[in-house]
Amino acid sequence: MSETSTAAGGISACSITLQLNGQRREVEVYPWTTLLDLLREQLHLTGTKKGCDHGQCGACNVHVNGTVINSCLSLAVMHDGDEITTVEGLSENGELHPIQQAFLDEDAYQCGYCTAGQMMTATYVLNSSHIGDSDDAVREAMSGNICRCGAYKNILAAVQSTRGKV
Amino acid sequence: MRNFEYQKADSVNAAVTAHAGQASSFVAGGTTLLDLVKIDIMQPERVVDVNGLPLYDVEALDDGRLKIGAMVSNTDLAYHPTVVEKYAVLSEALLSGASTSLRNKATTGGNVMQRVRCPYFRDGVSACNKREPGSGCAAIGGHNRSVHAVLGTSEQCIATHPSDMCVAMAAIGAKVLVTGPNGEREIDFLDFHLLPGDSPEKEHALDVDELITHVVLDAPIEGSRSTYLKLRDRASYQFALASSGVIVATEGNTIRDARIALGGVGTKPWRAREAEQALIGEPATEQSFKKAAEIAFKGATPYEHNAFKIPLGQQAIVRSLTHATAARA
Amino acid sequence: MTDKIQAKIIGASKPRIDGPQKLRGEAMYAADHHLPNMAYAYGVFSTVASGTIDHIDLSKAKQMPGVIDIFHHDHFPDLYRTPSSFAQENKVDETRLPFEDGKVYYPGQFVALVVADTFANARAAAYAVKVDYSADAEPIATLSQALERGGEPKTAKSSGHSRGNPDSAYESSTNRIDVTYVTPMETHNPMEMHASTASWENGDLVLYEASQGVIFARNVMAKVFGLAPERVEVRSPFIGSGFGSKLWIWPHAIAAAAASREVGRPVQLVVPRQQMFTTTGHRPPTQQQIRIGADDNGKLTALTHDSINTTSMVDTYVESTGSCTKSLYDCENLRVSHATIGANHGTPTSMRAPGAAPGLFALESAMDEMAEKLNMDPLEFRKANYTERDQSMDLPFSSIHLMEAFDKGAEKFGWAKRDHAVGSMRDGDEIIGWGMAACNWEALKMNCDARVSLRADGTAYASCATQDIGTGTYTIVAQAVSSITGIPLDKIEVELGDSSYPSGPVSGGSWATATTLPAIAEATRSAIEALKSYAIGDGGAFAGAKADDLSFDDGKLSDGDGKSVAYTDVLGQLKLANADGEAHTPGAPQGEYSFRSFGAHFVEVRWDPGISRLRVSRVVSAIDVGQIINEKTSANQVEGAIAMGIGMALFEATEYDERSGLPVNNNYAEYLVPVHADQPDSVDVILLDHPDYAFNEFGARGIGEIGVTGMAAAVANAVHHATGKRIRELPIRLEQLMSA
Repeated sequence: MSETSTAAGGISACSITLQLNGQRREVEVYPWTTLLDLLREQLHLTGTKKGCDHGQCGACNVHVNGTVINSCLSLAVMHDGDEITTVEGLSENGELHPIQQAFLDEDAYQCGYCTAGQMMTATYVLNSSHIGDSDDAVREAMSGNICRCGAYKNILAAVQSTRGKV
Repeated sequence: MRNFEYQKADSVNAAVTAHAGQASSFVAGGTTLLDLVKIDIMQPERVVDVNGLPLYDVEALDDGRLKIGAMVSNTDLAYHPTVVEKYAVLSEALLSGASTSLRNKATTGGNVMQRVRCPYFRDGVSACNKREPGSGCAAIGGHNRSVHAVLGTSEQCIATHPSDMCVAMAAIGAKVLVTGPNGEREIDFLDFHLLPGDSPEKEHALDVDELITHVVLDAPIEGSRSTYLKLRDRASYQFALASSGVIVATEGNTIRDARIALGGVGTKPWRAREAEQALIGEPATEQSFKKAAEIAFKGATPYEHNAFKIPLGQQAIVRSLTHATAARA
Repeated sequence: MTDKIQAKIIGASKPRIDGPQKLRGEAMYAADHHLPNMAYAYGVFSTVASGTIDHIDLSKAKQMPGVIDIFHHDHFPDLYRTPSSFAQENKVDETRLPFEDGKVYYPGQFVALVVADTFANARAAAYAVKVDYSADAEPIATLSQALERGGEPKTAKSSGHSRGNPDSAYESSTNRIDVTYVTPMETHNPMEMHASTASWENGDLVLYEASQGVIFARNVMAKVFGLAPERVEVRSPFIGSGFGSKLWIWPHAIAAAAASREVGRPVQLVVPRQQMFTTTGHRPPTQQQIRIGADDNGKLTALTHDSINTTSMVDTYVESTGSCTKSLYDCENLRVSHATIGANHGTPTSMRAPGAAPGLFALESAMDEMAEKLNMDPLEFRKANYTERDQSMDLPFSSIHLMEAFDKGAEKFGWAKRDHAVGSMRDGDEIIGWGMAACNWEALKMNCDARVSLRADGTAYASCATQDIGTGTYTIVAQAVSSITGIPLDKIEVELGDSSYPSGPVSGGSWATATTLPAIAEATRSAIEALKSYAIGDGGAFAGAKADDLSFDDGKLSDGDGKSVAYTDVLGQLKLANADGEAHTPGAPQGEYSFRSFGAHFVEVRWDPGISRLRVSRVVSAIDVGQIINEKTSANQVEGAIAMGIGMALFEATEYDERSGLPVNNNYAEYLVPVHADQPDSVDVILLDHPDYAFNEFGARGIGEIGVTGMAAAVANAVHHATGKRIRELPIRLEQLMSA
């Protein structure tokens, strides 16, 4: 990370490097820029959604170094050198990722706004060696991802049907 | 979000040096800080990033205690083998808090430093002695059902401490290790969080520029079992209405040692010492548990909308003690 | 032949055609557009509930980095109000323009708007704007306060209904109950925060708006800015749902568009979650008195349902809670009435199943209470009062299968095994309660235009301005085209949610399906007619034939003499790109039938008295909404509505401080909506699937609202069965159930 000459209110932007969806990206961010705003506003990766901006809904969930976090509550500058995966990085070679295919097959969404966050948490949950594989365990682990359309039944089905495929 | 300077520290001393007084904040996970900075309730001019500090270890000490680095995430701590095996109450408390993704960000030190959820604190304009000393407490006489206390309240503040982790730590017993400009010191966990009293703006025992580096858990009580029970409206992702973390050791059917700490009902992580004392030497029966639960809430002050927390907290105690002493298959 | 194809594709369980876009993060919602040179706006919102602005101090805010301009009531262009007419398609619920004057009518009202170069800078500067108010000492924050000191309620004459002699019949009834139910303010809380991305070019406005009704939005913006409608385009191809909160334009969209014109740059404004509770509508709190009279055989003899809700100080919104009461059961002596009273809230608006959701909580709870009084099975009591005639309209229902819904739901649920004694069913620490309630919703159909093209490349294209708000409209439009043409779904392109497309309905009231599909079908047939006219013309595949002798099946034109040509060849031969059809279809037929949907919920709750924990563990819902178009998306609608109904029953209430009038839980952590862990162990939706061809050619009545109706009552009735406590005020909270 290095300081640059850009200034806002006397405070400089910083240059950071991310490994973003498999690509090395060098970006300039102000200290107060959240990871979410960096993704959406600066990098136009708008698949990650802002649902509350306060860690209360999970719509902005992304993977940082393989771990799912709320990107609205993280400063972009704190992620210099980190590996970030967003919904745009889920599929490979144009094919839907197994979790995306399962969401399609199970109709695990309605409006689609919480969907990226749901899938990012789901893939983390499926890869976690600690989180159990029962329906109750998955429901509990996914509870930070609100779906106001209430597609919970189908989301659970999609997660469970993806087990072993990611 | 207001503009602030940012500095990343690479050592504890550098962090403490970079932190320059009241206008500075340390940032670890950021889950409390950024939430409150966005709504202008916290207004740091400088943010010191402590993510680069070497405080990520969980270390079993020779004396049987467990030393937890302040940067250990809630997730890592909850699933740490020693914690799962010897401090079930802590593992369960951590996993009952927040959400999977928040627990991945939130740290041990940060969780200790969580701020209250009182809406009058958060709205920026209502009377709140914590936010603006001397302005009053709008929660008294206002909406005080969910995130307001019945224990440890004062006429100046009735907000609950929202942490689950801290309730478990209060039950276990711990020391908070801190480093400041004058070096290191340790604070007993039960002395770390302060009752609101007449100065609710003073929430903890840290001095300006001091940084939490570790929490050291007391050695587990020999032969004890522990559990955490959190009661709330929805089944997950809500702060406790009432919670109970208990540790019990029995000889036959007699209680040899007991710890009870409560969440959601106190202005700080609440240790119910008298209730514990009342259990020791008694049979592990519902009757004993109920008696202890009653004692735990002796002197509780109900407010307009939260009187139910007294029986609810008592139920949490009774059920968690029942679980912790139940025969195991 | 068409029937065969229709049978295959209509009602099929098809994945959404827009699914991959949503799943890849490629679906563009209103705030996903980042236009060149775009600025960001953030509101300053009133921190008093009622009063006037004395002074706005911008000195600090203007010095903040990136600030471009700050608008407020002394610095905002003069705009016009919309007439707010549903018939003219320019309705809004909040008629007052933003920054019209220095008055404050509710907390969270826009009092200033900061425009800056980034979102973060706009927000930081907004918090630096200092506003001094003269606040009214006693704002009206709740329905009770309004009833105490809010003056005379205003009777809503148009939505009332009376027949027979309800009051005297009630007085002379053998069995009577007189009960009052209270429902709280609820907030829609769609996942997507309201958002507007506005830009102007040569005096024309393009607005990406999170909207359930782009035509209405276009018309409103045209009225507000004094423009011809052709000069405004509103786009909402994807919307993070709305549940009613995005039906009509709210002040933020006007503020964003005006700010954009003033600063000469595109402007994006996202309403922060906190203000989605204040300035984008809500379901108002209600107080409903229900009186039921019944004879000893369980036959209703009288029914009255008198309701009042709060509205804002500037507009009147009626929550028509009696809308189902007037026709759900057979009763000769009946009255429903509605009244409103002002409070210092933003203007309420329709929230999923407006009227019916709180109304059926009251009616279906009261039916349970009466059944208990009569010592009747609650299901049998309802059956005893079944009617196939809408007595409020004096018309038969076009299609009613409520009895089948009762029976199939009861059978699947195991209702016959219910032990009627309160608290009698136990499982370990838990007491089990079983409750049921009927669901009901009006079926509506609007005017609609549509365009369909059969294209030479073998694809088809359909467009309509209506929106897909998550209900699956993209997919069912494609199914409709496919059902007539035989063109597979993956070759049908559908475009929706743009006011420049043929006029389509607001996505609300469960009427989008019944409204849009007939227009799409008509346009498809019209495109086929165009194709035929080309085919029989000079150089056409059927040159010289009569159009009437040609038929179109499975993508081919045939003449009945064994000649069959693919439509792609018909077009290709003539070097034509496509054959187009347009259509206009009317609203529902009037005068012969009452069109309504029906259903029943059966709910199991589990109450653990030792820790005061209540949860919904099992739900069976049988739903009679006519023809199902897509089984997958239809079941999903009902399942989602069940979740929302659980929220209504157990969690949701937007609360205001009675002293200051300020909101206290206006965030997503303290306004509780159901999470994954609240999902019942099992939810079974039975779709009865009886086409209602009197309503439209597809026989579909729409499915968005009905699942919410009755759900809270079914939960409350189950809670009563478990605990013996009759909870008449939502949400049902554990402290209401704890023993005294």
